[in-house]
Amino acid sequence: MTTHKTIRQLLALSAAGLLDAADERRVREHVRECAECATALDELAAVSADLCRLPTPMAPADLVARTEARMAAELAAQTSQRHGAILAVGAGLFAWMAALATWGLYRFFAGSAGWLAWIVLTTVPAYMAAGAVAVMFASRRRLERSLL
Amino acid sequence: MIYQAAHFEDVPVAEPDEIARLRSRDSAALACVVGRYQLRLYRYLRRLVREPAAADDLFQQTWLNVVRHLDRYDSRRNFDTWLFAIAHNAAMDLLRRKTGESLEESGRELAAAEPDALSAAMASERTAILASEMAGLTAPYREVLTLRFEEGMKLEEIAEVTRAPLSTVKSRVGRALETLREKMTARYRKEDLL
Repeated sequence: MTTHKTIRQLLALSAAGLLDAADERRVREHVRECAECATALDELAAVSADLCRLPTPMAPADLVARTEARMAAELAAQTSQRHGAILAVGAGLFAWMAALATWGLYRFFAGSAGWLAWIVLTTVPAYMAAGAVAVMFASRRRLERSLL
Repeated sequence: MIYQAAHFEDVPVAEPDEIARLRSRDSAALACVVGRYQLRLYRYLRRLVREPAAADDLFQQTWLNVVRHLDRYDSRRNFDTWLFAIAHNAAMDLLRRKTGESLEESGRELAAAEPDALSAAMASERTAILASEMAGLTAPYREVLTLRFEEGMKLEEIAEVTRAPLSTVKSRVGRALETLREKMTARYRKEDLL
């Protein structure tokens, strides 16, 4: 590829201010001697300058207000979800502690051999309740998102 | 006259303390940042999708996604590029669903928009003609042009927003600018404006 063709390909990037110093120097040196490239560079530079001055489209007056309202609703939904999660963890811990507290009572009535039944009786309902809470929160979250 | 990036030193950007407040989900900080980026973000979306109604929707969707993904924002990163990358993703999703919009660089270019009543009055101005010619370019070309010349982003920042390699961004900027130059030259000759 000739120098002219190589430089020709760099002209647009030069006009866009995207060449490194070495390539920019090569372009400058070439356009001093090549009228065709000098003209093309002038035209590209004029287009670049005009692109910086394009009229900015104005957003509708209420766009920011509408956006802020939706963001506030999203933030409120996130806060509610966080509170719900904290509540669920707290309730789970309470249930676990309560289950542990019943161990003595269960042992008194059922004897030491019934520990497996005690685990099933306390753990399975706790997991089922936690699952139900999780499903409830997920469906509520979906509903909130669909309303945003 | 070579384009000077320094032209963009006055573009509004988020302050570091605003970003910190944003991460703690301070609604006042959110409102502040939305206001600060209103013009830039809306302009970028309008250039990309062209239709005002679609740009409205994308503007709101972008900020909702910002709120939803604030936890993923790394404060060492540039907030501008993070925000524009979110807007880019939302816009690309929309453009992919739309028919007749090419996301390929070499895709079919649309005819330049016919000037409306207001534009017709401004037809003698180069910028009005340029805006209509730019609207006729494919989306990837429109995008790099607005990010470079209106947002003043560097190559690396454009690459981060568009998730494209640097070489691709360079090639897009070069081709887009060259295409516009050819169109403008041809149009001026045709309309005898030169």
